[in-house]
Amino acid sequence: MECSFALTGKDYVIIAADTTAARSIVKMKVDEDKIKTLSPHLLMAYSGESGDTIQFAEFIERNIRLYHIRNLYPLRPQSAASWIRRSLAESLRSRSPYTVNLLIGGFDTADESPHLYWVDYLGTMASVPFAAHGYGSYFALGLLDRYHNPDGSLEEGLDVLRRAINETAQRLVVAPGNYIVKVVDKDGTREIKL
Amino acid sequence: MNALLSKFSATDADSEIRTAMDLAEEDGLTDAMWGSQAGFGQLVQGHAFNIPAVPNPTAFLRLHTDDHADPNCKIKIQHGTTTLAFRFQGGVIVAVDSRATAGSYIASGTVKKVIEINPYLLGTMAGGAADCQYWETYLGIQCRLHELRNRERISVAAASKYLSNLVYSYKGMGLSMGTMICGWDKTGPTIFYVDSDGSRLKGDLFSVGSGSTFAYGVLDQGYRWDLTDEEAQELGRRSIYAAGHRDAFSGNTCNLYHVKEDGWRFIGNYDITKMHYDGPGAVPGSLGSGYGYDVRTDNRFSVLPKPVSA
Amino acid sequence: MVLTFCPPKGRTTIFSPEGRLYQIEYAMEAISHAGTVLGVLATDGVVLAAEKKVTGKLLDLSEAKEGRYGGSGEKIFLLNSNVIGGVAGITADANSLVNYARSAAQQHLLRYNEDIPVELLAQRLCDLKQGYTQFGGLRPFGVSLLYAGYDPHYQFQLYHSDPSGNYSGWKATCIGANNGTAQSLLKQEYKDDITVEEAIGLVMRTMSKTMDSTTLGSEKLEFAVLTVDPVTKEPRAKIYRPAEIDALLVKHDLAKKDEDAEMKAT
Repeated sequence: MECSFALTGKDYVIIAADTTAARSIVKMKVDEDKIKTLSPHLLMAYSGESGDTIQFAEFIERNIRLYHIRNLYPLRPQSAASWIRRSLAESLRSRSPYTVNLLIGGFDTADESPHLYWVDYLGTMASVPFAAHGYGSYFALGLLDRYHNPDGSLEEGLDVLRRAINETAQRLVVAPGNYIVKVVDKDGTREIKL
Repeated sequence: MNALLSKFSATDADSEIRTAMDLAEEDGLTDAMWGSQAGFGQLVQGHAFNIPAVPNPTAFLRLHTDDHADPNCKIKIQHGTTTLAFRFQGGVIVAVDSRATAGSYIASGTVKKVIEINPYLLGTMAGGAADCQYWETYLGIQCRLHELRNRERISVAAASKYLSNLVYSYKGMGLSMGTMICGWDKTGPTIFYVDSDGSRLKGDLFSVGSGSTFAYGVLDQGYRWDLTDEEAQELGRRSIYAAGHRDAFSGNTCNLYHVKEDGWRFIGNYDITKMHYDGPGAVPGSLGSGYGYDVRTDNRFSVLPKPVSA
Repeated sequence: MVLTFCPPKGRTTIFSPEGRLYQIEYAMEAISHAGTVLGVLATDGVVLAAEKKVTGKLLDLSEAKEGRYGGSGEKIFLLNSNVIGGVAGITADANSLVNYARSAAQQHLLRYNEDIPVELLAQRLCDLKQGYTQFGGLRPFGVSLLYAGYDPHYQFQLYHSDPSGNYSGWKATCIGANNGTAQSLLKQEYKDDITVEEAIGLVMRTMSKTMDSTTLGSEKLEFAVLTVDPVTKEPRAKIYRPAEIDALLVKHDLAKKDEDAEMKAT
């Protein structure tokens, strides 16, 4: 089952998402990247109804890019997250709503600070120090409350993420096998091998 | 009612069709120029799907087609199938079964589940047979238009994305398709899995349909990138055999295609029962014996045979 | 987006055989007779001043004297919490544009939960203005604007937009009557490291030299400064009340001299 985790630390945000694409009981693909890089300092992990996820993520990706092209600077994480949330909220009351859950992590180059937002398909948004979606959240959140350090180093953050992933693997019946991990900080976004 | 109709017909796909129609008219095309029209005659005459005159067409369709909820439902859509495709050193292998079922009834044993979109593109058919046939033929039209307009063959990625966006615009309205778009383009051999949920996945190996789990069992175990052409074709046949043997909704025969740099080639049609007892016949890659468990394990037992009493 | 006009009937804005758009040029001409608006960009703020054309002695300015929200609101407007606008041209057109700008800023706030970036606000108005240079049967806005603003992307900024829909960023600029004189004065005196305090002085001196009237007073002057609050780091827009303007004039020794007192002294 789909799982995604994210956490902030000293001047960075880490986002991790599983890499399986499943249809009923079959894994159709085991190396699908479900974290999009929306702009040089913005990441978004998406999960939910198949089809909706990629359509919504690409819609967001293209619009954030358009804003960047038009204005020469990208939207700040707070503004991007607000706009994405609004898109979901408007979709919720449309004829065919997007059933997509998101974790949006970014680094604001204007005030040099990391930001993480938890967004669900109903258009709920919360600014949080750490977050999770899917069954993994039931195991990870308690653990993160216990171990998360808001000014920890990147290595410390990755250690906490490893704990969350290992705990999920240990206790969740349908735990995913692989994750893609991405980090965003002042230098931009990059993928990290755990 | 009109408002309802236009609401449901004002989809992207429809506007696409209308655009195609307008283009055709602009260019002074006549119906005759579309040849037999292949059921797409409306492209030039005006196009709209008839939708049942009920408040919620989607629920209506589900009510009458969902045989999980109601085995006595009136319309049984063809669902059972096994299709597979994989990429390897020598191109793409596409293999499918040929059984069409409607409920528990075998409606046909000679269905073509590989749709030849153009000489370089194949589409497989799982889910609603009509949906796959109609939209993949429609995709063929669009791929040809792309060629004419851009003086270049469409990439597999673009063709599959076109289909994916198209079926997504009908999401929730009852389309049922699970298809693999396979071909060879500038990037080499490529497979995309596209379904009516709107999923679109690029990959090396896919199997779709009710028999896919059985096929995966043989396919995954036998798969290597550096398979020879003969080995790959044999793997495709044997995987479809496995599904045809175990899955009640798959069977009859196996159709095998091989896509290479110069386009696809039909390799052959193989009777699954024959494959069980005798193997696929004298074809490259064949072991020359039957695939069936009893045939394969002839005279070998996990229990010692009882001593023959004197 | 906004322009859903009926089929064009008139021929208001069409190219002349020489390739010019006369209506736009006329609009700009109208503006060059309007009250001066002057803006100066400093390192820690932006200063804006505007000349009010008093039309006659009988005009009731009793309410404007105290200022309702600071300033009489004739030429300088708060467009958003981070942008002050100064207008030159047809006042009625300007009011309409100010209203549009305020709506655009609120729409941005609603969508993105942030103050609208200054340049984007200028672009929004210019998109509107540009439309009126193209669609027939309608007259362009006879208004030029100065935008003094702050956003986290480019900090303090000063923009100018004209009736054609062109806009540009400035260190110091001037629109309206005598803008040529004012601009050459600004060019001479402007320094790149000017502070707000110095900029206020520069604006005051330049205004006193370019305005037709010999004496400066709050009944003829509007004044505003945009800075950033040192504690909250949020932009702080201050549009001066008439009394504050008079005080400022005294401070810079440009106040209206009491003529009677002067006579007695001599």
